[in-house]
Amino acid sequence: MTAVTAHAGEKMQQKDMTRPLLEGKDISVTFGRGAEAFDAVRAASVTVHGGEAVGIVGESGSGKTTLARALVGLQRPSAGEVWLEGQPLFSAGTEQRMPRSERWKTQMIFQDPYSSLNPRMRVWQAVAEAVQVWQNLSGAEARMEALRLLNAMGISDDQARQFPKSLSGGQRQRVSVARALAPDPKVLIADEPTSSIDQSAQAQLLNLLRRLQSERGLAIIFISHDLGLVRYLTSRVYVMQKGDIVEAGKTQDVLERPQHSYTQLLIDSIPGR
Amino acid sequence: MCQQKEREIEPLLEVKDLCISFGKGGGRKLPVIDAANLSLDQRQAVGIVGESGSGKTMLCRALIGTLPRHGAGIVSGTVRFDGQELAGAPERVWRGIRGREIGYIPQSSLAGLNPVLTVETQLVESITAVGSFSRQEARQEAAGLLEKVRIPRAQQVLKARSHQLSGGMRQRVMIAAAIAQGPKLLIADEPTTALDVTIQREILSLITQLRQELNMALILVSHDLAVIEEVCDDVMVMYAGASVEAGPVAALSKAPRHPYTRALRVSRVDRAVPGQDLEAIPGDAASVGSWPAGCRFWPRCALADEACRRDTQPALMPTAQQLSACIHAERMAELEQ
Ligand SMILES: Nc1ncnc2c1ncn2[C@@H]1O[C@H](COP(=O)(O)OP(=O)(O)OP(=O)(O)O)[C@@H](O)[C@H]1O
Ligand SMILES: Nc1ncnc2c1ncn2[C@@H]1O[C@H](COP(=O)(O)OP(=O)(O)O)[C@@H](O)[C@H]1O
Ligand code: SF4
Ligand SMILES: [Mg+2]
Ligand SMILES: [Mg+2]
Repeated sequence: MTAVTAHAGEKMQQKDMTRPLLEGKDISVTFGRGAEAFDAVRAASVTVHGGEAVGIVGESGSGKTTLARALVGLQRPSAGEVWLEGQPLFSAGTEQRMPRSERWKTQMIFQDPYSSLNPRMRVWQAVAEAVQVWQNLSGAEARMEALRLLNAMGISDDQARQFPKSLSGGQRQRVSVARALAPDPKVLIADEPTSSIDQSAQAQLLNLLRRLQSERGLAIIFISHDLGLVRYLTSRVYVMQKGDIVEAGKTQDVLERPQHSYTQLLIDSIPGR
Repeated sequence: MCQQKEREIEPLLEVKDLCISFGKGGGRKLPVIDAANLSLDQRQAVGIVGESGSGKTMLCRALIGTLPRHGAGIVSGTVRFDGQELAGAPERVWRGIRGREIGYIPQSSLAGLNPVLTVETQLVESITAVGSFSRQEARQEAAGLLEKVRIPRAQQVLKARSHQLSGGMRQRVMIAAAIAQGPKLLIADEPTTALDVTIQREILSLITQLRQELNMALILVSHDLAVIEEVCDDVMVMYAGASVEAGPVAALSKAPRHPYTRALRVSRVDRAVPGQDLEAIPGDAASVGSWPAGCRFWPRCALADEACRRDTQPALMPTAQQLSACIHAERMAELEQ
C-alpha cells in the first residue's frame, strides 16, 4: 500500500483547505553514486498550511532529517520541487536555488544541539547573526533582540555571553530554538526539538510554539519520535520508513487505527506502555 | 538511597553534600553543584532527572574524575566508592577507577566515536587500557564485546567506521566500550536521547540485561521520567545544583514530595489534551551564578512562603517513602489527585 494511499489522503486534505504555505512535491534525495548510491528519501510529498502543525515520525535513519533539510534548502534533492506560498522555490530539474530573500521564511531547529552551533561564536552572537541576516537592524539592536529571544527561552544574559561548550545539552537546544525564531519565520521545521530538555521545559516550548501557531499563523513541521508529543501538537502526521512515506493522515486516525505495521510498532514502543 | 531498614553493608557509591565549582586557584569560583547527594548499592539502578543545566553531567564527571578537564573541581563533600574516598583523589588513583571500576557513556556520545577510526581500533583501545591483553587477544575480546551488546555480524561491524553505523548501532558500540573492562558501576548520561522510540526501547533493555549478566550497578541520567521509571529502582531529582528529592521510583512518581518533581509529572504531554496549554512551571530555570537565597525553587514555586526565602537551600530530609528538600514536603500530600 501506502505511498499510493498516502497520496490519495493528501489530495483529499487539499480539497477542503486553502493553498499550502510550504509544499514538497515528490522529493528524492540520493547520496553517493553508481553502486554506492543510496536513496535516503524517495518521492516524498508533504504539505503544511499556515497555522497548521504536521508531524513526521519514523525510525532513525528513515530520512526525516534529510527530508527536512531538503525542504529548507540545506540539502539539494535529486528529484522533486519545493513550493513556498504558491511560488516554486526550488526544482531539481533546474539550477535554480532558493532566493535568499525567501529563505528566511523557513527556519529549522536542528536535532543535534552539539553540532548545530558554531563553537567559536558566543551564544548571543549566534542569535544576533540570525537576527541581522534577516531583519534590518543595527549591531546594538540585534544584540538586544538576541538577548530578548534568549531570555524568552530561559537563557540568562550570563549564559548568553558564554561559548556553546560551557552550556549543557538542554541549554544548547534552547539556543537553537531562539536562533530559529529570530527571523520571525512563516514555517518552522523542528527536528526533535525537545530531545534533551526536561518535561517542564518541553511544556514551555510547546506552549510557545502553539502560541506562535495560533497568533501569527506559524506553520510547523514537527519531527519527533515521541508519539505523545505528535498526538498533542499536530493535526496531520506522516510516517516514514526507509526513505518512504508509508502512511499519512489525520494524527488521531493514524495513531488510533494505524494501517501500517511499522506505525503499530512505533505505538507499541512508547515508554511506560 | 533512603533506606528505612538498617544497613548492614556499605553502599557501593555514596555522594554526600558534594560541591563543585568552576575556576581554580585564587581566581573567581563559580559554584555549579553545591548539594548533590546520591547513594546506591551494589547492582542497584538509580536514575537522575532534572532540568537542563542543573548539574547532572557535572556530577557524572565528578564520579569519573574528569572535572579538571572541564575547568572544574570538587570544593567539598565526599564521594565514597567501594570503600575508597575519591573526592580529591589524584589522577593516578582515577586511572585505576575510570573504565575499570566505573564505566561511562557520555552525553552526546553518538558524536563521541571517532569517525576516522574503525570500531575495532576504538574497542581494542578500551580493552588494552587494562594492560594485560595482547593485541591479538584484544581483537578477539572486541568481537566478544560486540556479541555481548547483541550486535549481529560482529566481524563486519568491527571493520566499519562510526559514520557508517546507525544511531542505535553506535550507541551499542559505546556501551561495549564502557563495559569492556567489567566495571562494577555503569554511568549512562542520556543514552537514548537521540534515538527513536523503537531503538530506545532496545537500548534500555540491553542495558538492563547487561546489568544482570555483569552484576553492574547503574546510574542513568535522563530528562524523561518515563524512561527512568522503566529501568531504575530509585531516582534522584536535581534542580539548580542540588538534589531536591530522592527515593524509590514508585514513590516519587505516585506521591512526589517536592514541587519540582511534581511539575515534571504534571507537564507530561501524554496526559495533555490537544488544543489546551500544557502545565509548565512558570518562570525561568535558575542559572548558575544567580541562584536565589533560600530554597532555589521559590521564585517558581506555588507553595513558596516567607520561610522558603530564608537561609540557604534546604537539606534533604526523610518524608513519606523518600527524601525531600522541600520544607513544606508534608503539604505536598494535599496536592495529590
Ligand atoms: N566550562 C564551563 N564553564 C562555565 N559553565 C559551565 C561549563 N560547563 C558547564 N557549565 C554550566 O554548568 C551547569 C551544569 O551543566 P551540566 O552539563 O552538568 O547540566 P546538565 O544537568 O547535565 O544539563 P542537561 O540536562 O541539559 O545535559 C550549566 O548551567 C552549564 O551552563
Ligand atoms: N550527508 C550524508 N551522506 C550520506 N548518507 C547520509 C547523509 N546524511 C544522511 N545520510 C543517510 O541517510 C539516511 C537518512 O538519514 P536521516 O535523514 O538523518 O534520518 P532520520 O532523521 O530519519 O534519522 C541514513 O541512512 C543516513 O545515514
Ligand atoms: S521549600 Fe518552599 S519554595 Fe522550596 S520547594 Fe518547598 S515550598 Fe517550594
Ligand atoms: Mg534525524
Ligand atoms: Mg547533561
